[in-house]
Amino acid sequence: MSNVRDRNESAWLLPADGKRVNHQLRQDMRRFDDIDEVDLLVVGCGAGGSTMLQRLARAGWKVVALDAGPFWDPAADWVSDEAGSHHLYWTEPRVISGSDPVPLGSNNSGRGVGGSMVHYAGYTPRFHPSDFETYTRDGVGADWPIDYPELKPYYEAMEEELPVAGEKWPWGDPHSYPYRPHPVGGNGEIFLRGADHLGLTAKVGPVAIVNGRFGNRAHCIYRGFCLQGCKVNAKASPLITHIPDALAHGAEVRANAMVTKIEIDERSGRATGVHYVRDGVPHFQRAAVVVIAGYSIETPRLLLNSACARFPDGLCNDFDQVGRYLMVQGAPQTAGRFDAEVRMYKAPPPEVSTEAFYETDPAKPYKRGFSIQTVSPLPITWAEHVAAQGHWGADLREYMSDYVHWSCLGALCEFLAQPDNRVTLSEQKDRHGLPVAHFSYSQCDNDAALMRAAQSVMEDILHAAGADEVITIDRFAHLVGGARMATDQEEGVVDAECRTFAVPNLYITDGSVLPTQGSANPALTIMAVAARAAERLISTSRRGN
Amino acid sequence: MSSATPPPARPWSGRFPGFDVLDQSSHWDPVTTGVVLARTGMAPDIRFFTPHEQGIATALCDQLLGQHDEPTPVPKVPLVNLIDSRLAEQQTDGWHYDDMPADGQAWRDTLSALDADARQQFDSGFAACSSQQQASLIQAVQDRGTDDWHGLRAKRVWSLWTRYACTAFYSHPSAWSEIGFSGPAYPRGYKNAGVDKLEPFEVHDARPSEDPLRGRRGVQR
Repeated sequence: MSNVRDRNESAWLLPADGKRVNHQLRQDMRRFDDIDEVDLLVVGCGAGGSTMLQRLARAGWKVVALDAGPFWDPAADWVSDEAGSHHLYWTEPRVISGSDPVPLGSNNSGRGVGGSMVHYAGYTPRFHPSDFETYTRDGVGADWPIDYPELKPYYEAMEEELPVAGEKWPWGDPHSYPYRPHPVGGNGEIFLRGADHLGLTAKVGPVAIVNGRFGNRAHCIYRGFCLQGCKVNAKASPLITHIPDALAHGAEVRANAMVTKIEIDERSGRATGVHYVRDGVPHFQRAAVVVIAGYSIETPRLLLNSACARFPDGLCNDFDQVGRYLMVQGAPQTAGRFDAEVRMYKAPPPEVSTEAFYETDPAKPYKRGFSIQTVSPLPITWAEHVAAQGHWGADLREYMSDYVHWSCLGALCEFLAQPDNRVTLSEQKDRHGLPVAHFSYSQCDNDAALMRAAQSVMEDILHAAGADEVITIDRFAHLVGGARMATDQEEGVVDAECRTFAVPNLYITDGSVLPTQGSANPALTIMAVAARAAERLISTSRRGN
Repeated sequence: MSSATPPPARPWSGRFPGFDVLDQSSHWDPVTTGVVLARTGMAPDIRFFTPHEQGIATALCDQLLGQHDEPTPVPKVPLVNLIDSRLAEQQTDGWHYDDMPADGQAWRDTLSALDADARQQFDSGFAACSSQQQASLIQAVQDRGTDDWHGLRAKRVWSLWTRYACTAFYSHPSAWSEIGFSGPAYPRGYKNAGVDKLEPFEVHDARPSEDPLRGRRGVQR
């Protein structure tokens, strides 16, 4: 593979003077008019959208990306503070239901250029080869129209571009990382100690946090606020890993532009551009190719809100597939209490993980599995743990004063794709007058069994490390699916190239196309899938065709 | 408080002797400093709650965070002002359950329901009830678990109250000092991460074996 700087110069385009933004680059950014037909327009500047933008800009396409949120400046806009980071989340109204409704907002929804990767923990594991064929192997979930070897080169490319630090990885397709693992803090130390006593393999990483020198990105300072946006530019997000290079190659990023509808030409059946609102004013941007990358809630919502005469039930929804098979991971967190001071806030929350329980174990009554990782809740999030045990008043205060003694692990359980876990439109409207997303979620028995199994393993690890008490809170993490990739239009919304079955010049390149999720954090896979789609698009089409 | 009542036991107080997170504020970046120090200044005016709702909410939130019998001169964290600001600015998480109204209306409805419970049981508004009466009314909501309470699922009401109240309380530097948390850490970062390792400005827990859970189970401390 070629030198990473020759493929993506983002890290070298950032300033080396302690400022976190190359303001000149943004100031000199190319700007298109609404009436210009750009070669390709991207809706949403998160993991998938930014990757597309950078790849296509490099290939010489005229590209613009619209994002509903701000074009962040980490120095000016982000703080080293939990409550003060509320603006990082997508907090427009949404309705949740089902037997296990999934809270959105701060839990899993990003906003602005960089998307959810602005506030993700920074874990970037690959999916395992088995994730691409869970139906064939285990009769659950779905098979992808592509397999792991198809995606492998894009994983490798992305691990260099973020770049990822971690120990040699023994699980799935064994591989190594471009940067050595970070030193661990108290929480990682506890995990490694407990795993060692149990004879369980745990490894440091993989995290997309610079360890060493990489362009003008600064080294991590271990301040523990990864989930509040990295003010250091150490933790990767597309804002610093792909957007600078895209701008340098002529892309425009139009922030604070809320896309409201994809326009379809009724005669040709092709997308002609998008309607969007900026500063309260409606606009229409023409484009030869449209790429949606609004993630698992907003992408289906936009498709459904783009209903027209040709697609009366929602764009690309002829077979009632839009919004379906949306997945979250079961993410119970178990904490253990030590007389020693762990002070888990003093290091990045992502430190150590194990994928020893990732694959189906024939001896177990459930299919698929879970991974376990360090999580290190800050005080407000920790208070949720304590309050979830039923404590309030003086009990809560006393319990909270014990914060420095606790270590906390989190599991990611592979919840299975189910057709009725889906986004539909609510009767409630947002401030633009558009129906908001209604997200219904219910667990199946396999999901619940994985939650219990993961909790039990985390308790074992913490007890083995010397914990005298353990507590658990049941949570959910991540979103994928909702416009999944499939071999035919009756089973999904896009094909293996991320092109929608229904509209030949409309693509979806975000987490919503993933048919399964494994027990891995999804960011790296979303980027790899987008990078592959970009390469296919560049190699098979003439520009804008 | 009557003179016959003994001073409240405050086992959470004084675990980190001399530690005040604000002593480190000169090491914080200016944007973070602005956000955090704003919480220590004058509390924001009430804009969302009516005066009646404010009274109920204040009693409720002070009970939830054990501030109702805070001895003066310790200043209370202005929980209701902080919650009121979020609701006035619609700084919510956005989502709501399909069987619950959005957060602002849910606060109004549940405060009103709590007041109704107080009038029915104690013939007095919630804010005017004794501390014990307030506590028993709050406990009754928690005890309903997943059952219905005034047309809402009690568990979701409990989650709404504790989420907002805990976020307000543990966003405050005085709460960080109380639990030994070092607060903002940019641009300095940490140099001594690891079990039992401290930065020069951090203070060890003076009562490290005071595990509250262990105490509750009657295990010897």
